[in-house]
Amino acid sequence: MMNDKAKIPPIARLKYKKGDLIIKQGDYGISIYKIISGKVRIFSESGDREVPLATLGRGEIFGEMTFLNRGAEARAASVKAAQDSELEIWHPGRLSSEYAQMPHAIQYIVTQVLERLVRMNKLVAQITAKKQEDSKMPAKLEESGASQRRYYRKKVNLECVYRPVGSSPKLALHGKVKDLSMGGLALEVRPKNALNFSHDKGDKFHLNMMLPNGKKFTATTEVLSAKNDPTLGTLFMGMEFSDVSEGDGRTLGFFMRT
Amino acid sequence: MAVDQLLYVYVLNEEDYPANSVIVKEGSKGDWMYVILEGKVKVKKNTPKGMVTIGTLNEGDIIGEMALFDPVVADRTRTASAIADGGPVKMGVLDTNRLLKDFESISPQLKGLTRTLVKRLSDTTQRAVNLAMK
Repeated sequence: MMNDKAKIPPIARLKYKKGDLIIKQGDYGISIYKIISGKVRIFSESGDREVPLATLGRGEIFGEMTFLNRGAEARAASVKAAQDSELEIWHPGRLSSEYAQMPHAIQYIVTQVLERLVRMNKLVAQITAKKQEDSKMPAKLEESGASQRRYYRKKVNLECVYRPVGSSPKLALHGKVKDLSMGGLALEVRPKNALNFSHDKGDKFHLNMMLPNGKKFTATTEVLSAKNDPTLGTLFMGMEFSDVSEGDGRTLGFFMRT
Repeated sequence: MAVDQLLYVYVLNEEDYPANSVIVKEGSKGDWMYVILEGKVKVKKNTPKGMVTIGTLNEGDIIGEMALFDPVVADRTRTASAIADGGPVKMGVLDTNRLLKDFESISPQLKGLTRTLVKRLSDTTQRAVNLAMK
């Protein structure tokens, strides 16, 4: 049992200075790292923000997700040295052959742990995405104007047709209205809609839809926030009404009260 | 028998649980690993808002894998409850000592990796529960 150690070729060690980038989110690295000394900071990058995930210290391992997906997926987070650190770098290829040789019962258990971890990671991503859809977007709508707060917001799921202001009236992009208030709405669309037409903050769209009570509703809206959700494959926009006719305003008001 | 023969040789004892009975209780002491021989098991965790189900396990699935994370910890407490789901369940009590001996035979790197994965699973499960409860 002890001679297993002798079979392992020397393992690379590297030194990092405080602040050095070790793993870049989005890269296709395959190495697994063990901290010999120092500390590292794991964070996810979203836009220009860094969302801290964990700080790891001596003896801890990171980069292990490549072992789960065999390097087929990009690094899910970035890692920086939080202090001057020394790391051991393992090549997953050798680990894989060791993995194949380990006692069957242990392999059996570890395989199950891997499968459950992959499932749990997916679940966390799904819940996080759902939370953002449920709470963040309506919250952003609220930020647009204090006056909107007195309006009740209704959860809906309505097909709608829309087009950028200034585009041909023949153009019809499709989306789903997810919630509706007197001040605005939340619109979910396919990210490919944004390939040919800008879908950014400040963009204006003509929009029309059929309310569940069978009445037509038309309005001009302005995007307050747009968020791409790669896990769901959707682009989610918070919009406020910039132009609603009196008749359409009444139609909407009637629907919101019922 | 849905359970792998190579794992079945680690089964020390078979235990029968009637439908909806508790096999392992969260917070109780114990470091035995089990394998489900027959039936389905629901895994539940306690939260401030009551019990939530975090998964359903089937024949051949293991419970108690946390024992691999840090074998030296005495008085391990269970991090989740396992409950016979719907029908009766037959559980195999695994020879945990033998599994730990097998575990000791693997390379330090693989051991470290395995422990990291077991720890991540436990942390990620807790994170999912916390997120769902928010």
